[in-house]
Amino acid sequence: MGKVLMKGNEAIGEAAIRAGCLNYFAYPITPQSEVAEYLSRRMPEVGGMFLQGESEVAVSYMLFGASACGERVFTTSSSPGVSLMSEGLSYISGAQCPAVFVNIMRGGPGLGGILPSQGDYFQATKGGGHGDYRLLVMAPASVQEAVEMVMTAFPLAEKYRNPVMILGDGLIGQMMEPVEFPDDLASEPVNKDDWATSGMDTRKSENRNLVKSLYLSSEELNKHNLHLKAKYDRMRREEIRYEKYNIDCDYKALIVSYGTMSRVCKTAIDNLKKEDFKVGMIRPQTLFPFPEKAVNEAASKNSCKIVISIEMSMGQMVEDVERAVIGKRPVRWYGKCGGDVPTPEEVIDVIKSMVKEA
Amino acid sequence: MSKTFKKPECLSDLHTHYCPGCTHGIIHRLVAEVIDELGIKGRTVGIAPVGCAVLAYNYFTFDFQEAAHGRAPAMATGIKRVRPDLIVFTYQGDGDLASIGMGEIIHAANRGEKFTTIFVNNAVYGMTGGQMAPTTMPDQRTTTSPFGRNVKEVGMPIKIAELLSALETPGYITRQSVVKPKYIVRAKKAIKKAFQYQIEGRCFSLVEVVSTCPTNWGLTPVQAIKWAEETMLPYYKLGEFKVPE
Amino acid sequence: MEIDLDGIVIIAGNYGSGKTEVSINLAVNKKRSGIDVCIADLDLVNPYFRTREVKGLLSELGIDVIVPPEKYLQADLPILSPVISGMIRQPCGLTLLDAGGDDVGVNVLAALADSLGGKKYNMIQVVNPFRPFTDTVKGCLKMRSEIEKASKMTINGIIGNANLIDETSVEDIYNGYDFVKQLSKESRLPLRFVTVAAALMPDIDTTRFHCPVLQIERQLVPPWKRAVSIKPVI
Ligand SMILES: Cc1ncc(C[n+]2csc(CCOP(=O)(O)OP(=O)(O)O)c2C)c(N)n1
Ligand code: SF4
Repeated sequence: MGKVLMKGNEAIGEAAIRAGCLNYFAYPITPQSEVAEYLSRRMPEVGGMFLQGESEVAVSYMLFGASACGERVFTTSSSPGVSLMSEGLSYISGAQCPAVFVNIMRGGPGLGGILPSQGDYFQATKGGGHGDYRLLVMAPASVQEAVEMVMTAFPLAEKYRNPVMILGDGLIGQMMEPVEFPDDLASEPVNKDDWATSGMDTRKSENRNLVKSLYLSSEELNKHNLHLKAKYDRMRREEIRYEKYNIDCDYKALIVSYGTMSRVCKTAIDNLKKEDFKVGMIRPQTLFPFPEKAVNEAASKNSCKIVISIEMSMGQMVEDVERAVIGKRPVRWYGKCGGDVPTPEEVIDVIKSMVKEA
Repeated sequence: MSKTFKKPECLSDLHTHYCPGCTHGIIHRLVAEVIDELGIKGRTVGIAPVGCAVLAYNYFTFDFQEAAHGRAPAMATGIKRVRPDLIVFTYQGDGDLASIGMGEIIHAANRGEKFTTIFVNNAVYGMTGGQMAPTTMPDQRTTTSPFGRNVKEVGMPIKIAELLSALETPGYITRQSVVKPKYIVRAKKAIKKAFQYQIEGRCFSLVEVVSTCPTNWGLTPVQAIKWAEETMLPYYKLGEFKVPE
Repeated sequence: MEIDLDGIVIIAGNYGSGKTEVSINLAVNKKRSGIDVCIADLDLVNPYFRTREVKGLLSELGIDVIVPPEKYLQADLPILSPVISGMIRQPCGLTLLDAGGDDVGVNVLAALADSLGGKKYNMIQVVNPFRPFTDTVKGCLKMRSEIEKASKMTINGIIGNANLIDETSVEDIYNGYDFVKQLSKESRLPLRFVTVAAALMPDIDTTRFHCPVLQIERQLVPPWKRAVSIKPVI
């Protein structure tokens, strides 16, 4: 099959199907409702299941129940909805169930607005729900990348028995781009007989399985948390992904930017190049685990005077950039989060003035 | 009489953590016996609540999931939608189901999700130390209603069986009790019926069970039974509220 | 070949078929040929990339643009401006109604039935065969009947809008044309015009088409791209 023109939201829905996930629960919210609208037509065509839950709270537990009995399952929402799902995310992580969550971020806090934002960086990478859990967080910068990340999210969730979150801003959901669904990213679910509550008959087993997040003894709970931490450390070793842009020259400034914001930055970098003003960029594709080493190395280049985190939020990722750079270079932040995406011209002005001051 | 003492295959050997005279144990046993009798152990998944029965999974010998407070019906929905062949039940208290999880139970019932709910109504939050529940009786003293439930301020106790029966979607909704042997026999029949409806793929089913919590009521087990009979049963009428056509 | 359309023209089509981009460019095209044009944004479904995004530009060209009241411009509230019914009652040379996508998007037209009552109008279905659900003739016909049912109106023409945005090839344009030609034959609906992006125009042999061609100067672009600059009408 050749390319098709799809909205990010539709492509995300189709990608899940192509990845081999035929179970989808969701609750409508702008700007992600098209996923549910698309899948409400598409799931019946492929023998899949879509249920509109009564709230995002309920939806997150529908995922929990479905995943706990061994099935592939996913949901999509936008910021306020993901806040409600955060309780479920904590339980699902604690109970070590694989599931895929997509957040097409809009502006906050509170009801905020419906325009694109990256204001849920903290929520996605540092918690949101309670307890010491982490999500594997991937941030696409194009519709094609969203497709590929959704398709890889399912096997990754199963590899770690942990929820994976795709964090896209509103533009990722709303813009249309030509896409392809790479067949080689389709995957078979792993065997879950050792833990899933799929029914003893289904597994032909005498032993029952139990899915829970409750560990009443302090010793057991500590052990459980150490086990979870070991998984998150393994993600740090094995799953970090990022893109380098214009990094082989003697750049004066290093930008760290993700999602569609990074595309604006690319245009800015290209335009600056024409003036012989060199700027490099690291675009994290995974936000947790964060590409700390890559950012640190890129910041350490002799020519680099400053590191700028450019994000559609009031300075969230910049904290991870600071942690990565560990004081080697000054770290600055630039961003907007009312919904207007900074233009390439604005980014150029900011870079120039920050470099001048550095 | 011998069969009364044989432990159901679906119950584990563990001693329960429930207080003396607590009716959770009896209800567990009824559920286990029904699952044994229906021969569905190998395809049953139970869902434990947050409440005194949070550890229910330790006492049953088939697959179990443990939910967050009030969310068991959403988890049961998740399972039944992706594995309709599994037999699923939630086991929930009145704080769990009638307070924090009210949204989940109403919508699951209204969608006609084909699972079974065992709803234990003991008129109090047991696990957290006897606070007021939506089902606490008028003037009943609890740790958060020290002067008795003031219905002018917090409304009347919620009758879940009646409330859910008002939904137009077909379902099996019944209220039973386990505070007397004759009630126990009927309760077991109702639980069996509820599972049968599920096995036949007919409808959502809920068995409300009027129970006791001697510990938090501050009564002996015998006094607790008397209180349940005299105070709760006149308000929470036993019987079948809804049966599918 | 000139595009032969005037009076009230309703641009409908499946979600993401390119209705808004087509409407904007059609408005500009007609304005350039000296016709009075007004355009109303009826898209209550789509939260981003709507006509309202280019209101300033169109107004500069002298095109009347009716969008929801300023303070609700970025809301996801389904607000229908009361001005729209007035505009329908007294149409200008070309009155374009840019409806929302799918059957849901045209629900709003049923609400305008009173104003539209008895008026002559053209309702045209925009088709992009590179979009899901309209990649077969059958899919397009299904979409047509769904739109007609929801709007309680009749579609009487087709616009071919085959494209993969920046990745559209000459081949795609020709295949897209053949597709809508076939659709036109099977649906017995006239093909009003097809679209070609301005940048692709020099490579296209328009004599291959038996219908007018609307050149698309893309306006609804993401922030890192520049819209094709539209010169004011002299
Ligand atoms: C979100 C959340 N809020 C509060 C609690 C604390 N909590 C645990 S059990 C419970 C009430 C349990 O009462 P009930 O459902 O009636 O069951 P019982 O213990 O009486 O069997 C509460 C409030 C919790 N676990 N989670
Ligand atoms: S506190 Fe009440 S409900 Fe809980 S175990 Fe004790 S008696 Fe039973």
